[in-house]
Amino acid sequence: MNAREARPGDLGISASRHAGREAKRELPGDVDVWVFVIGEMVVFAAYFAAYVVDRGRNQELFLQSQQLLSPGLGVVNTLVLLTSSLFVALSVRATRTADARTASQCLALGGACGAAFALIKSFEWYSKLRVGLTISTNAFFMHYYMMTGVHFFHVVLGLVLLTILWREIHHTDAPRAWVIESGACYWHAIDLLWIVIFALLYLMR
Amino acid sequence: MTRTATVAARPATDGRRLRPKLDQWICWWSIPIFYNLFGLIFVYFTKIMPPPSPGLTQDEIVAFIRTNATNLQIGFVLLALTLGLASLSSGIIVVQMRRMSSARVLAYAYLAVLAVAALPGCLFCGFMFVLAAFRPDRDPRILVLLYDMGLLSFVGSLGCFVIQYLVFAIAIVLDKRAIFPKWLGYMSIWGLVTELVALPSWIFRGGPYAWNGAISFWLGTAIFVVWEVCLVVSLYGAVKRQPLDEILA
Repeated sequence: MNAREARPGDLGISASRHAGREAKRELPGDVDVWVFVIGEMVVFAAYFAAYVVDRGRNQELFLQSQQLLSPGLGVVNTLVLLTSSLFVALSVRATRTADARTASQCLALGGACGAAFALIKSFEWYSKLRVGLTISTNAFFMHYYMMTGVHFFHVVLGLVLLTILWREIHHTDAPRAWVIESGACYWHAIDLLWIVIFALLYLMR
Repeated sequence: MTRTATVAARPATDGRRLRPKLDQWICWWSIPIFYNLFGLIFVYFTKIMPPPSPGLTQDEIVAFIRTNATNLQIGFVLLALTLGLASLSSGIIVVQMRRMSSARVLAYAYLAVLAVAALPGCLFCGFMFVLAAFRPDRDPRILVLLYDMGLLSFVGSLGCFVIQYLVFAIAIVLDKRAIFPKWLGYMSIWGLVTELVALPSWIFRGGPYAWNGAISFWLGTAIFVVWEVCLVVSLYGAVKRQPLDEILA
């Protein structure tokens, strides 16, 4: 995130670069973060493909195991993460209008929702492990723990990024919009991936 | 002071001034050479890549080792001889990482963690199979043990590589001199995740997360190859752009 953080002498360059970007209506965020996000989509697509292939081989087992999940917690988590994305998007909008106070408040709320997602997910795992449903129970639970686990790792990484964005808004006089946008792109990608995971694991019949 | 004086006095005979980046280019070329050898050893000779299944029966494992014994010996003796080449690639990467504005401690951590990672990630696997091939008439149950130890170590040696990718990603993202492109730092996060998803290879003997699985092995290897190619290309650019006065100073 901070790779192009301007040193005092660079401020002019950074500002003009940003101005040019606005004028041409380019991608939000910088190109590097899009390489990352699209790559993540491809990698997750491989997990999804592996799941669907295994599911096709043993549909009965997958359907039965699916009944053992807690759809309520899944729905709550989906709503929590969508709300989080909304706050982060509002924060980006506030940054563009140089409203640092709203930007920082929305970002903090977005981060809090992200943390709530992680807590609920941990509780869900705990409740499954407690009744003996582990990663080696069967193929369905192997995919369940791996997909949600890898996604969890991304949420934690995203929370670190949101903290960096929050510092950017708090500790610089003019937070750079492209930095906030880059972090927000990644956070929305995590949200999008969760929606697919939720559909595959909890809803697919 | 003395050094600059010497350089100025004997410009034509000072090899370093004539080819100031020669040492780095030698190290750079070692990378494609090493990985071609690596491919030859693991794919062609020993057939450890792609890995044989963890679900093989005892008889199949014994057959794999006995019919493959000579190739295992050729391959892994070659590995024992040439694995040191990997240190040249670590050397040049660390030289370039030290130029970054991010803390040098990350460069040293990178060097240290790769020095350790070579053992479980490569050499240990080779030793297990060369041991098995040394006496292929050994008790079949011991051959199975060596087979498991070799392959689990090869695919399941995660922790060192996780930290390697992590310190590399942090160094690039924090670097303000843009020695490496920032997307290479982000790509290292994919590498990190592929190591994490290889974790279940310690548990499963089949499926996408086993040591020969679609995710643990194939996805991980595909991302590693893409990452390595991008690293080598970025490294070329970094050495090319390095100002001469920085080297000669």
